[in-house]
Amino acid sequence: MSYARGTIAALVDAVVPGTPGAEGVQADGALDIDLDETVETAFNELQEAPEGPVRSLGYETMPFAPVLALLLDIGALELVLRREREESLRSPKDAYAGGPFSRLGPEDRMRAVRLLEADGLFPALDERYPDVPFGIVAYLMQGAMFITAMAAYSDWGDDTERPQGWRQADYPGPAEGYAVHMGYEVEEFVENDYGGGDGAEEDDTDDGATAMAADGGDDSDPEAWFDDRSRSADEAGDAEGGADR
Amino acid sequence: MSGPDADTREPDVVVVGAGGDAPALAWRLGQQGIDVLMLEAGPFHGNERFPNPHAERGEGASRSPADLSGDLLDEQFTAREGDMGSPVDGKLRWGPADADRAPWARTVPQTGVISQVAGVGGTTLHYYGNHPRAFVPAINDQPHWPLDYGDLVPYYQYLEDVHPVKPAPTTPKAELFYEGARRAGYDLTTGLNVEEEGYRPFPNAILQPDEALQGEYDGDFRDLSGDTLAAHEHQGGPHPRGADFERRAKRGSLVSLVPKALDTGHVEIRPNAFATQVLTRAGPGPLEACGVEYRDTWTGRARRVFADVVVLSAGCIETPRLWLNSGLPDDGWVGRGLTTHHFDFVSGRFDADTLEEIIGQRAVEPHQGQAAGSRLDVPGAGGIAVNTFAPGITAASMYSESVNGFAFENDTSGEPWDTEGRVVGQQLKDEMSDYRRTLTLICHTDDRPRQDNGVSLDPSTEDEHGPIARLDWSPHPEDDERRLDLARRSARLLEEAGAEHIHRSAAAPIFLHMQSSMAIGKVLDTGGEALSADPLFVADHSALANGVGGANPTHTGQALALRTAEHLADRSFDGVADPIPADPTPASADD
Repeated sequence: MSYARGTIAALVDAVVPGTPGAEGVQADGALDIDLDETVETAFNELQEAPEGPVRSLGYETMPFAPVLALLLDIGALELVLRREREESLRSPKDAYAGGPFSRLGPEDRMRAVRLLEADGLFPALDERYPDVPFGIVAYLMQGAMFITAMAAYSDWGDDTERPQGWRQADYPGPAEGYAVHMGYEVEEFVENDYGGGDGAEEDDTDDGATAMAADGGDDSDPEAWFDDRSRSADEAGDAEGGADR
Repeated sequence: MSGPDADTREPDVVVVGAGGDAPALAWRLGQQGIDVLMLEAGPFHGNERFPNPHAERGEGASRSPADLSGDLLDEQFTAREGDMGSPVDGKLRWGPADADRAPWARTVPQTGVISQVAGVGGTTLHYYGNHPRAFVPAINDQPHWPLDYGDLVPYYQYLEDVHPVKPAPTTPKAELFYEGARRAGYDLTTGLNVEEEGYRPFPNAILQPDEALQGEYDGDFRDLSGDTLAAHEHQGGPHPRGADFERRAKRGSLVSLVPKALDTGHVEIRPNAFATQVLTRAGPGPLEACGVEYRDTWTGRARRVFADVVVLSAGCIETPRLWLNSGLPDDGWVGRGLTTHHFDFVSGRFDADTLEEIIGQRAVEPHQGQAAGSRLDVPGAGGIAVNTFAPGITAASMYSESVNGFAFENDTSGEPWDTEGRVVGQQLKDEMSDYRRTLTLICHTDDRPRQDNGVSLDPSTEDEHGPIARLDWSPHPEDDERRLDLARRSARLLEEAGAEHIHRSAAAPIFLHMQSSMAIGKVLDTGGEALSADPLFVADHSALANGVGGANPTHTGQALALRTAEHLADRSFDGVADPIPADPTPASADD
């Protein structure tokens, strides 16, 4: 078991744990279907390595799984240092690595994720140094949670006819169809009037004039569109008139 | 020094992208006898010239509807959610056709998930077939559009006729939603032009189901025409299996518009062709676009194609990326003003007795019926829709995507939901074990365009196509308020329908509905042509001037692409022989 695999194991086991007291398939968790391997593989295949130092080391893709593991350990360390840990530290399970993330209780592991993406050091650095894309850490954390959940409850990483997650959700798998047609709440939509009159009958209007009329709308956020550094919509409409040929 | 080879054939128009909107434009141009070459970065599914699109390159291009094969579609579209939809190695992902390669990169320095698809048909390969028109006030009363809603109506009607777009059928989960909406005091909306609150079936570009599915049915569904209610829209929706390519129920661009475009005899589609440069010619007048350089994603070979007109239809992220990588002028709005509908998800879990009472069955069965067949419109705030998925996407989007931390530590007192945020551990297992008794709703917020939000280049990261796109998007506090309004309405509806447990995800950004990053009125004139270069057009959702109020954007994107095609034909060729009527027969003609 590698450092990356074992740290990811501590993540996926917190998201979908084995629950031995439950009945049948509901007792099984992410580690029963080697989800740590699926997530590790996914992270290592997220992005091709550009020409340069990483590729010259022999990587065709960016080794993001060890990066994810390292970040999780940093998040765990930050949680410990901030004294925001709420569960006791524990010996890592056999499938886990030995870093701080693997020694946290399952809810504390999620708190470490939250520090990494929202409340901790990296988000603070992101605020302070907007030119450096520290926010990528938050993106990777969201990706880890998304991939873990999707893979746990689908055929991602499991080619069997009915993977564990589908059985846990009592989802039968792809079907050819279902006889659940109950008729129609609306038989046909109607071409109703709009704009307080016969707008649907309006002829094609002059674009420039329409643009000016559109400016009459008051539903705008003043900070939004009108913080425009260039031209306003009616000017653009006029410009278009000139471009017509 | 030798540059890339130039194609010997010079089409009248070269289009970058063959996704959701571009086939509408290409079809319209083809109808006028204008020769169009479409360059698509991703694969071409269901095409005999590319029989193993994820394993080998196949031939160069397709220009005949005879190349299209329903059998191949059946073979390739397995309807398994990971096989089709894994964003890393699924068949419907943002990445090269070659399954052995990684996806294409974007820099996203914030929380969020991008859900775009490369391939002929683009993101309509996994869309839900939802085709509501824009909300009227989003066009006429918001300041962003230099067009009138009435300008779009004839194009909406045209598409509603050809896809066709029809009311979604009622199914048990839709009836549960309708009952919640009725009890919450909403009226039924029957008009296509929406200005007021109300609930209704989705206007969907999904062939209505066979009436045989209204009773006992024990066939194999291959003898049916129309939707089989298998709920596989997100996985590509190839049903009914065995049907001709063009008769597949979900009318994504691949099965609805592409065959029509090829039928004109004037449209050629070259998949596996990633555009890297818009070629320009300096002259005495404005900058002039004259072609496109592209790279074959299998061979790596670069080629140039010259044309009279260039159209960019690469989507809200890649169109501005290509523009900026080509050194085209930017007055501050290229890539900016992106809207995303600031999604949220609210789910309700029901007990079997309540369900028995309301819909006559003891489960919601989210996996049966159209994935999204019923909705509630709230013009000014956005829309709420039943949005159901297979379990993997349910777990990922409903329970794992949040900006509000984890449900186990969130206090929800005073809120109309029982839990909020990410759900993990035993709680997640409990939610997922009740998958079949859960109704999931999506909120599409009418978020407004702002110059801070959008796409720029990440000069520190290049792939084989140049510096990659960087995406920055955050909601304005007013967007958050609109979203909260929708989430509360969703919870109320579910409660009225009898839900025993309500959960709100407070979703992190999902970049799936994307609009307005190259807006008309800003970067483009009202004909869809660039203000700063000739003859260069944009025909994808980036050309929309805002988020169309929170209505699903495909219908408006395609309508605008049709309209842009006509302007293009008028300005650069001999015009349009059969203009789409400005005052047409209503789409609701008696039947």
